[in-house]
Amino acid sequence: MSTGLERQRQPPVEVTEEELAAVIGDRALARDDHLNAPGFVVRPDDVQDVLSDLKEQAGFDHLSCLTAQQYEDRYESIYHLKKYADPTQEVSVVVPTSIDDPVSQSAEPVFRTADWHEREAFDLVGIDYEGHPDPRRILLPETWQGHPLSLDYDQEKPQIVTLTEHANPIQPDHHKDESDTMFLNVGPHHPATHGVLHVKTVLDGETIVDVDPDIGYLHRCEEQMCQQGTYRHQIMPYPDRWDYVSAGLLNEWAYARTAEDLADIEVPEYAQIIRTMSAELCRIASHMLALGTFCLDVYGDFTAIFQYAFRDREVVQDILEDLTGQRLMFNYFRLGGVAWDLPEPRDEFIEKTRDFLDELPAKVDEYNDLVTSNEIFQVRTIDTGILEPEVAKDYGCTGPVARGSGIDYDLRRDDPYGYYDELDWDVITMDGCDNYSRVLVRMQEVEESAKIIEQCLDLLEDWPEDEREIQANVPRTLKPDADTEIYRAVEGAKGELGIYIRSDGTDKPARFKIRSPCFHNLSALEEMVQDEYIPDLIASLGSLDIVLGEVDR
Amino acid sequence: MSSNNPKQSIHDSTAPSTDTRDSRIGEGPDDRFNSKLREAFGSSPFILTKFDKFMNWVRGNSMFMLQFGIACCSIEMIHTYAIKHDIDRYGAGVPRASPRQADVMIVPGTIVSKFGPRMKRVYDQMPEPKFVVGMGSCTISGGPFQEGYNVVKGAEEIIPIDIHVPGCPPRPEALIYGVLKLQERIQNGESSPVVVKPYELEQFGDLERDELVQKLADDIDEDDLVMRYNWADSP
Amino acid sequence: MVGSVTTLPLQADDTVLLPERIGDLTGLDAYGVGGELLAAFIAAFIVGNLMLAMTGVAGPWAKRKITAAFTDRIAVTHLGPAGLLIIVADAVRLLSKEIIIPENADRPAYDLAPIVVASSALLGFAVIPMGSGIHLADPEVGLAFVFAVAGIASIGLVMAGYASANKYSMLGGLRAVAQNVAYEIPLVVTGMSVVIFAGSLQMSTIVEAQAQTLVSIGGIDIPAWYALVNPFAFVLFLVANFAEVGRNPFDTPEAPTEIVAGYQTEYSSVYFVLIYLGEFLHIFLGGALIATIFLGGPAGPGPAELGIVWFLIKIWGIFLLTQWLRSAVPRVRIDQLIEIGWKGLLVLSFANLILTAVIVGLIA
Repeated sequence: MSTGLERQRQPPVEVTEEELAAVIGDRALARDDHLNAPGFVVRPDDVQDVLSDLKEQAGFDHLSCLTAQQYEDRYESIYHLKKYADPTQEVSVVVPTSIDDPVSQSAEPVFRTADWHEREAFDLVGIDYEGHPDPRRILLPETWQGHPLSLDYDQEKPQIVTLTEHANPIQPDHHKDESDTMFLNVGPHHPATHGVLHVKTVLDGETIVDVDPDIGYLHRCEEQMCQQGTYRHQIMPYPDRWDYVSAGLLNEWAYARTAEDLADIEVPEYAQIIRTMSAELCRIASHMLALGTFCLDVYGDFTAIFQYAFRDREVVQDILEDLTGQRLMFNYFRLGGVAWDLPEPRDEFIEKTRDFLDELPAKVDEYNDLVTSNEIFQVRTIDTGILEPEVAKDYGCTGPVARGSGIDYDLRRDDPYGYYDELDWDVITMDGCDNYSRVLVRMQEVEESAKIIEQCLDLLEDWPEDEREIQANVPRTLKPDADTEIYRAVEGAKGELGIYIRSDGTDKPARFKIRSPCFHNLSALEEMVQDEYIPDLIASLGSLDIVLGEVDR
Repeated sequence: MSSNNPKQSIHDSTAPSTDTRDSRIGEGPDDRFNSKLREAFGSSPFILTKFDKFMNWVRGNSMFMLQFGIACCSIEMIHTYAIKHDIDRYGAGVPRASPRQADVMIVPGTIVSKFGPRMKRVYDQMPEPKFVVGMGSCTISGGPFQEGYNVVKGAEEIIPIDIHVPGCPPRPEALIYGVLKLQERIQNGESSPVVVKPYELEQFGDLERDELVQKLADDIDEDDLVMRYNWADSP
Repeated sequence: MVGSVTTLPLQADDTVLLPERIGDLTGLDAYGVGGELLAAFIAAFIVGNLMLAMTGVAGPWAKRKITAAFTDRIAVTHLGPAGLLIIVADAVRLLSKEIIIPENADRPAYDLAPIVVASSALLGFAVIPMGSGIHLADPEVGLAFVFAVAGIASIGLVMAGYASANKYSMLGGLRAVAQNVAYEIPLVVTGMSVVIFAGSLQMSTIVEAQAQTLVSIGGIDIPAWYALVNPFAFVLFLVANFAEVGRNPFDTPEAPTEIVAGYQTEYSSVYFVLIYLGEFLHIFLGGALIATIFLGGPAGPGPAELGIVWFLIKIWGIFLLTQWLRSAVPRVRIDQLIEIGWKGLLVLSFANLILTAVIVGLIA
């Protein structure tokens, strides 16, 4: 079996730990290695230096995540760096700050994406970032008291939330009083925001001068919830609700992968195949919704394409319901395997799934007829919402959004997990960088997912009857060693979905941080819609395919 | 973090709920269903009861929904509108984006503190008579996120809800059942009591001057609208 | 001038307008001007109600059923046969809702806008010959009159957008006026090419001119409908008309998902019904106009008494087409829309006008 995993270009030369240590030099105060990567402790005022050296000299061009946390004696910011060319090369930069004066240098000049991350770290944990261009809260209301993920936060205290009318934010920039701009609130309740997103927009006529996405309207404290749950069973239901657009299993896999690596659990091969198959079903369902809602944005109203996309999702949901027992919130993965085997009679399930796959090409053709080959659709989407690859990398964009900008980055291939490296499939990239490319990437990924499912079904059908092991031996109570830290990511429906866990020796994580792909993708919106029209703002928002549950967590 | 015992004030007295209900619907019986004609005539002549019955039939059979998505449940809500389930069969499948033209608001998801005031605003913008279907566990109690520092424990903390559809998320069939139950209730002229004291939008200047208000006095204008959020005080 | 027009046999019921006929039947014309006025009023009442009834069927019921058919659904079923009672329920419910008037609304304009929108479309039907003797008035400037009154609607839309004191409404209102200005001109200019053929602005003359036989194929006479005589003009007019009534792919003034509901965002209850009525009436007026000047008006096989049936079939055909487009065609962006209007349709419509003039001149 040939594998589609060869990259077209050579991966950059591996940087060894010694070379890394040499790049950082004396600025490294100590080592704080994580399970996934070497960690270097640096002083709060060396952050920009170290990060830019790592970016320029060692090629770490992807600030995957920033985790902030509080210990008894210090605050800590961890910058998880990766390479777009080879995400298995990782390094963590650990920046401790004192408890009395938690001020650290901002990484925003080096990585644009640090902007939102540092705002979040300030909002939830309470670390101040010196030199940050926009030190505001991001998820919680501006008037919130305290930082909820810090150790001394008292949840019982009352809060006051405002409903303010917004001033025109660019008015001061104009030297004339008769400024022609208009401030427009798009959302939080607006038909095109895919949930409860608030985009503060400044318009000059119909042209967009400035946008400022205001998130946090669905900040459901997912990290707190996960920190209160036990590893073994209580955390798994929550990932389903991050990216709730049927991508549940992909999210569960992120947690499963992280926790399994943390506790050193080996998953049986058979379970891996079931995971791979079901996760790809989720990806199809999720991309169908992305297509449907994008068409909703471009066509307006609940039109035929939208309804057809939901008709096809309904079929996928049926299959997933047969497998997992639920339509949307599956809770099907377990640490070390899956909850149960394929439903009986097995042949019927496989038959049903095959039928769906057989009908899929005709449906994809129908979509191509109706959508992508429609000239008005092309006029509307080609060359709108341009996201250049360099900008996309700077904002940490991943998933179909990055691949639509020509960035060949897919964790399923580049950082293999599950059964992906044994199967034959391709990573889709497009060079258009526009809304049209992003739609095409998703539609072709649906076909690739179908290929993967097809192969998994073949394997599952012929698997020896006595080796159908769905669950590894996992202790009833899972207590990873104290102070183990790990950051692991999988390719979710929207991109790189990562989880950072620090254990403290109990059966609950001491810190659980979610790296959400939508969070990064949304932060790039500002670059995409500058000087475009309102309809393009709506279309670009649709083509980013954000899910607010994952943006806000 | 949370206490399993209900708060004393709720436990001992029903005043919070009755007070709010009284202030919301005024003295006496709920007049949400009664026509102006009946108010004018002051009694219930045959023709007006027939008319009221007719109006209830009308309202119970035709409703425009507010196009309103919050969280996970909104996906199942869209499925309810879409091909297979097609809630429009029951005359309840026209989503209107503007609250001015909507009759029924389906609240599909978790309400958090930041969104609370906005949802209240949207609800207030809908013309009477308006009805609310709470979809999913989050709108009942906060659901799986109840413990969250930022989560409102149920949509009923903010707006009155006519029908609760449990589930996480409820299947489309369940939502259809919920909407049908709502239609049935409307046709029978029943309305739901308000069971908890909701958060209200107030002007900042009108708030009681406690410690927190003093602290925020510099940040918030006197006439800005605000809503108090108190995680611990919710039942 | 097409000289042959006057030699055509005039159909008997085209010469008698509906008010006169009513006057005849009821004996009202014996009472002088007052009687005529009353007869005219009754006639207008009949025509207006016919159109309103059609809109009533279309808005809450037919639109849903048609859209549902395009999207593999069923739509309303449980209320009366095929869900037809939803018309009663929807209409009464919408009318009985609370009217919310925004605090900063510009009062007279805010209240007048829906009335202007709805009545302007209704006025247009006055000069449309609907067959079976249903024709209210037949002024010599019939076609110009329709364009004129339909154009008033844009004022209504701007009023609605401006007076609502809502930014989305404002955007919708501005879009509406930009769009209507851009597409009214191609619409009128293309309409003029028909006038060149018919040699008259009078609706009845235009209809009669189309009764001629274009060609005979195997004993079947193909009438000289202008859609067949000049298909190019027909397509131009159709496209401009979609923009004029603001339907996909040109539904930018309303643009759900972009600017919420455009100019009608703030309207509730009766006002919303009026605007909604106005929209549908405009679609039907557009359909009536297309039917009259391109599709032979009430002409069709069978006796002349069936005229109204054919006429309604044609209108509903156009309505079906708008709903089809709504289900299947994306919306163009506002700048593209203006570009298509000014750079595309305007040029093409003038080219069409000149070409038609030259051809007609040569034949004559």
